[in-house]
Amino acid sequence: MDDRNGGTAEVAAPAATFEALLEPVLDAAYGTALRFTRNPADAEDLVQEAALLAFRGFHTFQAGSSFRAWFFRVLTNCYFSRYRKQKRQGTELALDDTPELYLYCQTAALGLHARSEDPAAEVMGRLETEHVEAAIAALPEEHRVVASLYFMQDFSYQEIAEMVGVPVGTVRSRLHRGRRMLQQALWAVAADRGIVAALAAVGSEGA
Amino acid sequence: MSIHPPDRFTCEEVFARLDDYLDRELTPDELHLVRAHMETCAACAAEYRFEQGVLQGVRQKLQRLAVPDGLMARITARLAAEGGKDAAG
Ligand SMILES: [Zn+2]
Repeated sequence: MDDRNGGTAEVAAPAATFEALLEPVLDAAYGTALRFTRNPADAEDLVQEAALLAFRGFHTFQAGSSFRAWFFRVLTNCYFSRYRKQKRQGTELALDDTPELYLYCQTAALGLHARSEDPAAEVMGRLETEHVEAAIAALPEEHRVVASLYFMQDFSYQEIAEMVGVPVGTVRSRLHRGRRMLQQALWAVAADRGIVAALAAVGSEGA
Repeated sequence: MSIHPPDRFTCEEVFARLDDYLDRELTPDELHLVRAHMETCAACAAEYRFEQGVLQGVRQKLQRLAVPDGLMARITARLAAEGGKDAAG
């Protein structure tokens, strides 16, 4: 890899080690930062800030443990300390009840399950990345953070609990509730974009 | 308490564990009981397949993203600048 450290010989080795570990997780880190901040400029700032903090604290990283999990913990802490106190945008969902199997029930009510082998794929295949992003962005922050870590990486509840600094049971309930809210948000987007109407016609096109 | 043999889960018991099952967070015993139920219960199996399909779809879409060009280079430059000065508190 390119050595940008030029004349500072004594930091060149740790920086190179750090960068070699950071580079493979950078895409996922940026994606997660984007879900956290909901804004590309803030997401890049957050990733750069987290990289700097992680580099400063690199001596606390235990060789042989997961750099990915360690770096995502730094990233999450950095988000909480620097960005979360910013104004709350008004797009968050305020849902008192979060029905289970929301999409399942909605698509069943459309009769989709009788007309399609794979009703989940019928729905998800029609949604674009931007629709899913909009649905994630609509989640309340504590659910959005947990859901972002969950969807961007295959972290366990335990790993997410360590990153967010809450008990495992809290991660579990936030994640499960967040997913139910996400399904409602996805359905709202789908209705908005005419996807629900298209789903109602699945299987009847050829008739 | 339990009105069914302890080696079987009811639909309700499976449903209560559906999220944990999707996330592979069940204990080995529970995992076995949920799997055994899914093999014989089409309704629970259909719910599971649907939820699994939604999660996979969400994951696939969210992981498709454009990382800004030159982000790693900008980080490398900041680390180099950081290395050039004494660590600040
Ligand atoms: Zn069942």
